[in-house]
Amino acid sequence: MPPMKIALIGASGFVGTRIVEQWNLTGAFEIVPIVRSYSSLAVLARFELPWQVCDLFDVPALARAMEGCDAVVHAAIGDPGQIEQMAQSIYEAAEIAHVRRLVVLSSASVHGQAPEPGTDETSPLHERHSMAYNSAKVRAEKALHRLSASGNVEVVLLRPSVVYGPRSRWIADTARQLLEGSACLIGDGNAICNGIYVDNLIAAIELALQVPQAAGETFLVGDPAPMTWRSFYQQIADALGIDMATVGSIPPPIFPRSFKSKITDFAAQPAIQKLLPFIPGRLKRLTKLVLANWNEPPAENAWQLPAPVRFTTTEELSLLQQCQWQLPQQKAQKILGYIPKISAEEGMQRSLQWLKFAGYPVIKPGGPPAFT
Amino acid sequence: MGNDIISAVLVGCGAVSRFFYGPALLDLQSRGILTVEALVDPSAPNRQPLAELFPQARQYSRLEEAELRSRLVIIATPPKFHAQAAIHAMQSGAAVLCEKPMASSIDEAQAMIDTARATQSLLAVGLYKRFFPACENLKGILERQPLGRLKKFTIEEGGKFGWQAASDSFFRKSETPGGVLLDIGVHVLDLLLWWLGEPGTVDYEDDALGGQEANCRIGLTYRDGVHGEVRLSRDWSTRYEYRFEFERGQIRYHVNEANRLEIIVDGMPSLLDGSLRDPGSHRIERTNPQSFIQQIVNVTAAMRGREPLKVPGEEGIRSLRLIGHCYAHRRLMEMPWLTATEIAAAQCRP
Repeated sequence: MPPMKIALIGASGFVGTRIVEQWNLTGAFEIVPIVRSYSSLAVLARFELPWQVCDLFDVPALARAMEGCDAVVHAAIGDPGQIEQMAQSIYEAAEIAHVRRLVVLSSASVHGQAPEPGTDETSPLHERHSMAYNSAKVRAEKALHRLSASGNVEVVLLRPSVVYGPRSRWIADTARQLLEGSACLIGDGNAICNGIYVDNLIAAIELALQVPQAAGETFLVGDPAPMTWRSFYQQIADALGIDMATVGSIPPPIFPRSFKSKITDFAAQPAIQKLLPFIPGRLKRLTKLVLANWNEPPAENAWQLPAPVRFTTTEELSLLQQCQWQLPQQKAQKILGYIPKISAEEGMQRSLQWLKFAGYPVIKPGGPPAFT
Repeated sequence: MGNDIISAVLVGCGAVSRFFYGPALLDLQSRGILTVEALVDPSAPNRQPLAELFPQARQYSRLEEAELRSRLVIIATPPKFHAQAAIHAMQSGAAVLCEKPMASSIDEAQAMIDTARATQSLLAVGLYKRFFPACENLKGILERQPLGRLKKFTIEEGGKFGWQAASDSFFRKSETPGGVLLDIGVHVLDLLLWWLGEPGTVDYEDDALGGQEANCRIGLTYRDGVHGEVRLSRDWSTRYEYRFEFERGQIRYHVNEANRLEIIVDGMPSLLDGSLRDPGSHRIERTNPQSFIQQIVNVTAAMRGREPLKVPGEEGIRSLRLIGHCYAHRRLMEMPWLTATEIAAAQCRP
């Protein structure tokens, strides 16, 4: 039997890149990568592939790109203002293209970054998260349920939390912060990191594409056993030869709603998103530019010694590092037959080997890269 | 040619022309050095933004329609059209400035050089980083060695691909035969050849799996024992840095910072981060865009017989030859996160 033909939306992202690598080399599935711009082909072009470039909000164009595919995997990222609309466009296009199933990479952040103990797939969702991204993911899930209730395309939602692996920001950003001395943990760092190595996520996607009983279901997925955030940082610090004593410990910061985040959240509202096409592009670009430069640090005072490197965290990371709940995977195990094969230790080792490949000064495993 | 204003014909109206040649030619036109007489591109919408910059320029969809005798023909088409356009222009009596890479194959590049010789035409290649003051200063330091003998160098260049490509032809191996090595590597290897001459041995590996490489590594060893490592990527952000280690110090050049170098000399506990200035006037040296303009000035000066071409075809082909050698002796990069099955399949890819 020929392999299933899968349209992969967001094929140039971190997860998409690894899916292409794996499926193309193993021949597990025939892939039609779909990306938003020609420049997104730069890494995909390592393979000879029948890629499609189109606007993810242009339903007819998207449907043409999906033509002949058995299923679609939606792994595209977007800002909070785009997430819901993108999910809708992809579903509508899949309907037109007569695709059988749509597997969507949602996120465990629909429960918040630090979910309440007892959280599972049945926990009620709300749209009042402090992070606009979380609420947007909730709205996208709701939109997909609404559409699939009256449509023909089956939807399977996967909710991974911290996806790490080669090219992951969790690995690269943590390494960068450790190297510049700005890395810190909330409290003692012993909160739970609900991580999932990218290859485990791909295994879950493969099952979500094929298991008939998965239709219409939502699954939390993760590594075989979680690690603590301290352990996550420790492994990267060890690889870089950095003493964990240099990693700060800070209390959970309060993130007041800055002017920048208020504007971003306001723009993410569905009603405002509908108005955005009528706002001139130059004004939108100017606003983005102003917001991007909003947090310019104040000039140094010549009569003060330079400030030490500040520990930095983000609202997302800070919340994640307060997580006390290991997200359950029983439903994925029971319905999908999901048994993650790669342990967190092995996943970290492979991620660190990529870090070395990418030119970071990794001293183990295997000594520093030749070119540093 | 004398002091007459040179007429320029811009062939290919894609991103390079819009973002680089357009503003450069506008400046030179305002100074009376040249005038843009014609724009050539099969696509009228492509020509439009440049036609707005140069309203006096005639527009053609084919180069054969334009008058070329005694003109400066600037070729900024996709590389596979470079040779055909350049040869036609030189046979029509024009001087040619051809964007990098000079051609899509060494044979084509050689045919361009042969035509330049046969027709006694000027053929320049757009390797404009040779006009960076930082690169000119580095050449002087590498030749005179005031910090002692060069021991080794490392180069990291490239980041997540951001060029606004107008089609996928840039990424199709059938249309553009190489990836990051042919794209940014052509500048890197051109500078190395200019600074250090031909390497004795070259060791090359990349991550292409049937298509174009997004990452590559080149090990270069020179006859005097100097060893260098070059790492290029269009996948993630590198340090964008050239680092030369001498017996008594180190010099760092940050990619595209045309008038800045960093120097560490033995005995200095600090790093000296300096802008390059004219020693007499203290005026800051050429910027990156000014260096781009300067390469065109050099071609116009050569057309007037006032100075030699800084990057003639014979120089442009050298980096292309080295790239050809790399691809011919290519090894697959080790990608240790791949599974055993994936590695086995990867090793079977051409």
